[in-house]
Order: sequence, then C-alpha cells, then structure tokens
Amino acid sequence: MTHQHEGDDHDHDHAHPHAEIGEGRPGYYDIMETAVRELLIEKKLIGADEIRRQIEVLDSRSPALGAKVVARAWTDPAFRARLLANGRAACEELGISFYDDTQLIVIENTDKVHNLIVCTLCSCYPRPVLGLPPDWYKAKPYRARAVVEPRAVLAEFGTIIPDDVEVRVHDSTAMVRYLVLPRRPAGTEHFSEEELAALVTRDTMIGVVPATVDITGAAP
Amino acid sequence: MTQTEKLVNRLPNDVGGLPADAIQRVDHELEPWEKRCHALADVLDFHKLINTEEKRCGVEALGAEMVAKLSYYERWIVAFANILFHKGILTPTELALKMKEVESRSSEG
Repeated sequence: MTHQHEGDDHDHDHAHPHAEIGEGRPGYYDIMETAVRELLIEKKLIGADEIRRQIEVLDSRSPALGAKVVARAWTDPAFRARLLANGRAACEELGISFYDDTQLIVIENTDKVHNLIVCTLCSCYPRPVLGLPPDWYKAKPYRARAVVEPRAVLAEFGTIIPDDVEVRVHDSTAMVRYLVLPRRPAGTEHFSEEELAALVTRDTMIGVVPATVDITGAAP
Repeated sequence: MTQTEKLVNRLPNDVGGLPADAIQRVDHELEPWEKRCHALADVLDFHKLINTEEKRCGVEALGAEMVAKLSYYERWIVAFANILFHKGILTPTELALKMKEVESRSSEG
C-alpha cells in the first residue's frame, strides 16, 4: 500500500489538460464562454455587470466561513441545536447569505457516527459556506467509491474509523447540500472561538478527516 | 444485464458505486475563464434560464466520450450552449459568429 501524507498528495492536474494552449491567447472554451455571455447581455437576458459581481460573491466564500459556524456550534449549545435543526437559517444568523436556492443540512459527528458528504452525480457542495469544491471531490474516484466503500476512501485520507462507529454517507442534490459538524478535539476546553475555528479545515467539514489540534501548531 | 441494458440503466454521470481508482487529492486554482463560467452558471440559474438540474442533464446529454474528454468547465460551457440552442434562446450560427468576433478581437491585441 502506498501512503499519502500531507506533502506528496499534490499530483499534477489531470482534470485540467487544456490550460496550456498558446501564450495569453484565449482557448476555444474561453472564447465560447465570452461569446455566450456577450450574446446573453446583448439580448438583455442577463445584466452587463452580473458576472463580475457574482465572481466577487464566489471569491468571498471560503472554508473560513464554515469554520466560523463550526466553532460557534462547539461553544454555543443553543446555536448548535438551531444549526442541526436548520443549517441554512443558522448560517444566515451569522451573516452568511445563501446566494443559491439550496437548503443546508448539518450532520454531526459523534463517538457513534462519522459522516461523509459526496455528490455522486456531479459536484453539489455547500458552496455558500465552503466556497468551491476541490477537484478531487468532483472527480470520479471519490464520487464512485464514497458511497460503497467509505471506510476505504477515508483510509486513503489517513482517517481510520473504528468498526463500532457507524459511517454515514450523504449524497448531495441540486437542492439539498450537507455540511459535516466535526467533533471538537479533546484538550480544547480553554480555546477561544477563534482558536477553535483555526482547527476546522475544509476537509473536516466534508468529513474526510477529523479536526485535530496539531494541524496549525498554534495550540496555546 | 446485457451491454445495452447497462447503458440504459446508467447515464454517464451516474458513477456512484462503480469501481474506480484510488483518490488523487488534486486541486487547482481556477483559470479566469473557469471562474467566469462558474459565475455564469449561477447567473443563468438566478434568471431561471438554466437551473442546476438542467445543467447536469445538459452535461449528461454530451455523451460518455465528451464527458470523459472535456474538463469540468469545458463540459459546463458546451452544455450551456446546447441548452440555450434547445430553448431557442441562442442559435448555433449566432454563437459561431460571436465566437469568431471574440477570437479576432483577442488576436488584434
């Protein structure tokens, strides 16, 4: 078995073979995007400024938002209850707007259950709280295998789930997205909300790794 | 199941449960056009021109070969064009002419 640790998992980008066409000259699909967009603007079906403004929205979203939600849930039991009851409403409470028409279901990891999210059909993902998904989430191996051999998939991320812990896999849809609420690491009782948020990475909220104190080296 | 039954039962995107390789933890910064393409998808959805379901169906309709050979956002923009043709919002000729114009503009620079 080959092991993948932090340093050596950045393979070349197989999902993206067409980037190196010419120097600075836009490629075929780049031109197609510009042409479709300009035609729609000319027909007044979309506004001239809307793409730029939506890019700003996309750029404003990152796993830091999800981390803030998780840290609040870890420190505020009433918020945690509201988050588990209605993920979208609780995120909106923290000022995170949902620019799309999706619902959010937050699922909590416990000592009995480990949760994992996937989109087998395409790449549905809780974008308002995590930003855009990584390429591996959109690629076939993860989508194909997460639903049938989640423990083997988790092991490839270095996550070994004990046999007495149930693994639940949540398959996202166009309308319903999931976010994992990871377990709060032991020994963080004295951490501030901000310090806790620093422990919460994107992958912990997809459910492929647990939140741990040693990722940042910043534990007080 | 016969070979054709398998085809009927699984559209190209329906990969859940199929055998597949080890996960390569790859990622990349989006190219500017890819980010524009993503923003375009959102804006098309806001205006009820193409919703997420239609987009997925449009990608499926590209067929297995294109799904396999085009990159993620290449599939999206081609699917958008096809769906817009299908809905009568754009015509293939219009798009071809506009692409020619965009291309000549960029080669002038």
